[in-house]
Amino acid sequence: MANLAVVGQSVYRKDANPKVTGKALHVGNIEMPGMLQVAVLRSPYAHARITRIDKSKAAGLEGVALVMTGVDVAKMPGVDPYYGPAFRDQPILAVDKVCYVGDPVVAVAARDQRTAEDALQLVEVDYEPLPAVFDVLEAVRPESPLVHERHRPAKAFADLAHVKAGQQSNICYHFKLRTGDVDKAFADADRVFEDTFSSPPAQHMPMEPHVTLVYLDEQERLNVWTASQSPSYVRTELSNTFSIPMHHIRVRVPYIGGGYGAKLYAKLEPLVTALALITKKPVRYALTREEEFLTITKHKVITKIKTAIKNGSITARKCEVFWDTGAYAEIGPRIGHKSGYTAAGPYRIPNVWIDSYCVYTNHVPAGAFRGFGVPQVIWAYDSQMDIIARAIGEDPVEFRLKPALEEGESFATGTLVRSFGIKEAIRQAARAIEWSKPRPVQTGTKLRGKGIAAGVKAVLTPSISGAIVIMNADGTANVLSSTVEMGQGSETTMGQIVAEELGIAFDQVHIVQPDTDVTPYDTITAGSRSTYHMGNAVRMAAVKIKAKLFEVVAAKLEAHPDDLVAGGGRIFVRGMAERGMTISEIFLAKFGSLGTTLAAEAVCQPTAGHMDPETGQSEKCTEYWFPSATAAEVEVDTETGQVKVLQLFSVGDTGTAINPRHCEQQLLGAAIMHLGLTLFEEMIFDEGQLVNGSLLDYQVASIKDMPESFRPIVVEVPHETGPFGAKGAGETGALTVAPAIANAIQDATGVRIRGLPITPEKVLRALAEKKGEALPQD
Amino acid sequence: MTIRSFDLLQPRSLAEASDLLLKHRDEARPIAGGTTLVILMKQRAVHYPYLVDLQSIPGLNRIAKEVDGIRIGALVTHRTVELSRLVRNSFPVVAEAFSTIGNVRVRETASVGGNLAHADYRLDPPPALLLLKSEVTLFGPGGSRVIPLKDFFTGMYETALEAGEILVDVKIPNMPTGSKAVYLRHSALSANDWPCLGVAALVSKENGRVRELRLALSGLAATPVSVDGLEFVRDCSFDDSVLDRILGIVDEQIAPFYDLRGSEWYKRRMARVFVRRAIAQLESQA
Ligand SMILES: Cc1cc2nc3c(=O)[nH]c(=O)nc-3n(C[C@H](O)[C@H](O)[C@H](O)COP(=O)(O)OP(=O)(O)OC[C@H]3O[C@@H](n4cnc5c(N)ncnc54)[C@H](O)[C@@H]3O)c2cc1C
Repeated sequence: MANLAVVGQSVYRKDANPKVTGKALHVGNIEMPGMLQVAVLRSPYAHARITRIDKSKAAGLEGVALVMTGVDVAKMPGVDPYYGPAFRDQPILAVDKVCYVGDPVVAVAARDQRTAEDALQLVEVDYEPLPAVFDVLEAVRPESPLVHERHRPAKAFADLAHVKAGQQSNICYHFKLRTGDVDKAFADADRVFEDTFSSPPAQHMPMEPHVTLVYLDEQERLNVWTASQSPSYVRTELSNTFSIPMHHIRVRVPYIGGGYGAKLYAKLEPLVTALALITKKPVRYALTREEEFLTITKHKVITKIKTAIKNGSITARKCEVFWDTGAYAEIGPRIGHKSGYTAAGPYRIPNVWIDSYCVYTNHVPAGAFRGFGVPQVIWAYDSQMDIIARAIGEDPVEFRLKPALEEGESFATGTLVRSFGIKEAIRQAARAIEWSKPRPVQTGTKLRGKGIAAGVKAVLTPSISGAIVIMNADGTANVLSSTVEMGQGSETTMGQIVAEELGIAFDQVHIVQPDTDVTPYDTITAGSRSTYHMGNAVRMAAVKIKAKLFEVVAAKLEAHPDDLVAGGGRIFVRGMAERGMTISEIFLAKFGSLGTTLAAEAVCQPTAGHMDPETGQSEKCTEYWFPSATAAEVEVDTETGQVKVLQLFSVGDTGTAINPRHCEQQLLGAAIMHLGLTLFEEMIFDEGQLVNGSLLDYQVASIKDMPESFRPIVVEVPHETGPFGAKGAGETGALTVAPAIANAIQDATGVRIRGLPITPEKVLRALAEKKGEALPQD
Repeated sequence: MTIRSFDLLQPRSLAEASDLLLKHRDEARPIAGGTTLVILMKQRAVHYPYLVDLQSIPGLNRIAKEVDGIRIGALVTHRTVELSRLVRNSFPVVAEAFSTIGNVRVRETASVGGNLAHADYRLDPPPALLLLKSEVTLFGPGGSRVIPLKDFFTGMYETALEAGEILVDVKIPNMPTGSKAVYLRHSALSANDWPCLGVAALVSKENGRVRELRLALSGLAATPVSVDGLEFVRDCSFDDSVLDRILGIVDEQIAPFYDLRGSEWYKRRMARVFVRRAIAQLESQA
């Protein structure tokens, strides 16, 4: 881009040094006098009524400050014992019944962790088991046991305002999209393809598990230090839950050790707040890794997808998507909606029918997970794209390129797409993997194959980011923003944007960490939205400051503000660097003193058009899109079923890259994460009981699992209203990894895997089936 | 996760350790590297008011060369075995087996004795040690006794150790002359995972003719399996009919069951694949 000083440069991350040297503050490092530690007793039943709790022995243990039950919470003045971003369905502690194995039942706060855990072993709870439901397809049937008797919408977010109080069903949210005449197209089709795909519940696995510290300050204000991706939301939720006015709640978030969606909305904060309000002591609760498994998961999803082909083109697609949201809806309805409407893919399809159901079961609650449900729907539609292409004898790359939407064409929702580099992403992926190079004939037991996958995610719309920029008289600036730095590099990106706009050096910008006493509202740090939304907010705030500076300079130098530019820590007349003033000179001129500041606020608030609840049609369903493509080459050991990923190229249209290295890191990091999810990650449940709930048995990808050749490719299709043309990159690399690998496996062996993860046993079974061997059931 | 409070008892001799174990019975447990025991105690899956620290007993952490083999003390770490020149030169298959365990942090801490005494069904070291007909020395109230490692494993997480007994060392007899051995492990999940199964094979030859084949496996039954009945593999080559017979014998002697790393069907298939591969690898080295 022309004439930019620091935007577009791969400057080093602001948080690198403090993290590498171990100096970065995390919630787990904060010590407070008299601080209590927490342990939580969890339900051993998937669904049961609590008939008795005896906490007397535990309460009598030396060092125990409080043993708290759900009934105790419900008795607190002004409290709503239930919370949640879509429905207020999740109790702070189980009140009358438990809804999954791991549901918190009793909390102990004690002087140290061991005493708290010792006390738990003294609590007695009696349960009366209730019928439970674990299979999402069973849970949607009317005769299935109900997880919740009634649904209470939360009304916390504008985009969820349409969520309804359904009743007598486990379906807590149903999204519908209808365009064209699907039945007719299927009747007229040359061929119809029908497949069912599944992907399992999985863990986010941030290095830092959830941790929250709450204390009352000298004014009895609620102070919350928490590892959260949504400080603004946490404040609102605590205000609503405990009837505390917002100015009496202060939520602060230091660096957090990864989030990936696990740390969105409220998690430990309501519980720790209740403990702190009752004990009037600082209280910290830090989850163990084992508890992390019982707190939040990636949605298990079953997708039934049916596609009509006429004259080699796709004429209709029908998708039924079932989201197992577990015992509490969490953000499942938003995922069912936002991912649901993309379930037919980034393709030109005249007739589309989508039903997306968010369904309660007696499993661990499922929530946001890097990609917000989109990887699960792409797993279905893009695996099927490949199945169809190979079945009708089309080249898989060409078969995608042909119907891939062009700039200005209509998405299935009726929204016209903009800044939509899907074709470019597919082409780059194909080029990187040398798609058109002829494949050698293979023999033996190690077969190689190549696969391409493509897909798109839409950014959450509407959402809001506010920022304040404060310029100091020495030419430095402070930025107040509630975007959480969790490793994604937003601090650095925001610093680059502000430095660029104010014409100062990157290291002259300080980003203030989220603190609801001072940093303005931000919807969430998630969904690849910060660079665009917060980036625009900080940029607009900086522009306002610049205008104020220009005003002073224009008056002083008798120049027109339009002729002024900022650069090198000065404001000067374009083309005449010597005719200008330093920032300090401007402050002196304006205030007659150098201790002063100039502040400006700005809010970025993209809006969405109304979406018809019956047809899913909307003039504008989203502010922008993230096109993604992945190319993979695999080697399949046909004797063991083991899949080795030899090459992986992660391609994403990020808009203009504010920091190219960061974009590359995001594409790679997301791909690594999804490599494990594709090949072996899965939370395995037996009647609601998690079987592999620790890192001894649940595996994530390690350095030894990395492909031999692994490269990110950044496609930059600028967005007209993005800051300097930027969109975002946090999830793009996650979207298309799984189908790319499955497609490569089919290319190598001819077998198709429809259920994630693609374990060696699944591949071997498929190979044996292909050979016509009789197989025992597993 | 915290551990309920316990007393760490630090005996200075095996006799003292054995007395302490006997005195406290079910309330006491030996602790070596603690890599397994501490996790179980932190999860509060088990609790022992007394831990008998074997690290305080001198002399258990040595690898000694003897005329007819080597002796590895119970407290020698996995990493020490993996890097030992003596083991690498004379028993490369043992070094190889220990080098594949978990990760380097675990290997630096975990002990040979702890690995065997834990008696998990899918450990890496047992196949290699069984292959070489290793013996273990156990010390208890009645003094020392030596038993074949084969008889040490009695069930899933169960061993021949009796009340008050401690595993003292493992004796590995010299490899038969003209023999080569190999250990192959298959991990079905991430590359760092516990093995789905492990296969160790030894072939000895004289004047280019096969004299003996030995096979030992883990992950394929409740205990590691040392395959019997392979005596017929003598003066023959590993042609298809011989291999088929070997695989048939293996199939009879294993009893795999479903776990996170595979079904019975899969493990039986993998036993065949990896036994074949192990033999092929030894043949190609010859
Ligand atoms: C993350 C991780 C990954 C692992 N991966 C693998 C793997 O891939 N392959 C594999 O084979 N193993 C694996 N292991 C297991 C590892 O090898 C064992 O943890 C280790 O061998 C135990 O040794 P330790 O000295 O720490 O035993 P401890 O934890 O101290 O003790 C284990 C058990 O043995 C008993 N015990 C210890 N020493 C003696 C003795 N001398 N006499 C009598 N009883 C005794 C203890 O009472 C206890 O019951 C893994 C472990 C971890 C934690």
